[in-house]
Amino acid sequence: MKYLIYAEFYKLFKQAKTYYALAALFVIEAIVMFSAYYQGSTIIDVLLDNLKESFYFEGDLLNGNLLIYLILNTLWFHLPLILMIIVSGTLTSEYKDRTLQAVMMQPVSKVKFLLSKYVVATLFTVLVVLVLAITSFCLSYLIFGSGDLIVYLDTLNFFENKDAFNRLIWAFIVGMFSMVFFSLASLTLAVFFKEATKTWIISVFFLILCNLLLKVDFGNNWFNDVFFVKLNDTWQYLFYYEIDWKKISINVFLLIVYSTIFTILGINYFKKTDIE
Amino acid sequence: MKNIIFGIIFLGIQLLGAQEPDEDLMRVRERLDSLSSFKATIELDVDISFIKMPKKYADISYERGERIQFESDDFVMLPKRGLDFSFSNLFKYSFITVDRGFEVIEGKKYKAINIIPTDKKADFSIAMLLLDTENDRIVGSEISTKKEGTYQLSLQYASNKMPLPEKVEVAFEVERMKIPLNYMGKDIDVDKKSMREEEVKKGKIYLNIENYQIRYVE
Repeated sequence: MKYLIYAEFYKLFKQAKTYYALAALFVIEAIVMFSAYYQGSTIIDVLLDNLKESFYFEGDLLNGNLLIYLILNTLWFHLPLILMIIVSGTLTSEYKDRTLQAVMMQPVSKVKFLLSKYVVATLFTVLVVLVLAITSFCLSYLIFGSGDLIVYLDTLNFFENKDAFNRLIWAFIVGMFSMVFFSLASLTLAVFFKEATKTWIISVFFLILCNLLLKVDFGNNWFNDVFFVKLNDTWQYLFYYEIDWKKISINVFLLIVYSTIFTILGINYFKKTDIE
Repeated sequence: MKNIIFGIIFLGIQLLGAQEPDEDLMRVRERLDSLSSFKATIELDVDISFIKMPKKYADISYERGERIQFESDDFVMLPKRGLDFSFSNLFKYSFITVDRGFEVIEGKKYKAINIIPTDKKADFSIAMLLLDTENDRIVGSEISTKKEGTYQLSLQYASNKMPLPEKVEVAFEVERMKIPLNYMGKDIDVDKKSMREEEVKKGKIYLNIENYQIRYVE
């Protein structure tokens, strides 16, 4: 199993599209910073517009913490999309290049083979989120400095620098579980659809559907709380003034459960399907 | 009709009596005018339903005739109205006063006075002051400005000797906001008008002022 994981890592970092996708991610990060540099004050103006009549403001809200929060918003769509493309590609390329048949001719367990892909997908996702977090913290603080964070979530919330820093770190950690869920879901989709283009289209559709359904109110019942599409905004709970840690913990636990379910589904289907 | 005529006569008598500025108010004004400058540290606690903000701290400084200045290490929101503890804006242009009798608050009797500016340049249309005539201080006010709505002040003092307040409660009207914003780049260009609601909310700011350094006019 250990060697299968090594092999999967080797394959992942050997393929050029991994680097293209990662480069795309960091280009997005750079664009967010660039646009924030020019439009950040517009955001703040919009937020504080009707308060200007009653208040004087002292201090700069366009700072590193706001920038990190803006980058964190790539967790909605950009980051999971890139991760889904890379991760699903680790299996679809094996189908396409027919390396899967070659591997399956070896004395390799199908379960262990696919499980190693799921393990590598998880570790790779964690690594990408970690790198994104480190680069966004370093670049944002370096270029924009630190300061209070302003976030609009039902109310206009202000967080002091230290509090903002802690919340942003936790948001990356919690968001990581959502990203792992999407990565593993895309790998399961690759098991079902095999072909790269089909898998990517279905993955994008899955991601869009999750984002759309997140905003749909399924009523005040348990389904609204536990349906997996309702869990992907958990990282945003860190930016409510009072943090509901219980809700966050439950959501993270559910994301782990859903990720496991998708993994079991994928492995089960892969085990039962013949490799053509 | 009878009531209207009586009303006009009553108002006329009131206004005739109001030509001479109130003596108690003049004593209060004199005391405030004796302040040349002051510096202090201020703690702000914002109580507006749609704003969540931790307590903030700032240093304020005032020079007679100048706008109040403030400095802070982090982001602070300071009310445009209510920081003028010298009430210099009220006395800047000519005015008349109307005696409104006495009000009892927490067992203490305070004199109520209306200030009506007679100069168009004044930025308020009417003000009501509650005067502590024993200590020649203002303990409360309701000021209707021409552009920035109405705001109320409630002032508490550390001791009878202090001319400046230790605690101030500023109540004001503020527009409710509704922002369909999720900070995604694509949503940055939003229509400000569509984000505003007509609803007006009451907001309050509690100020704790400490470490006064007061200089008096020599």
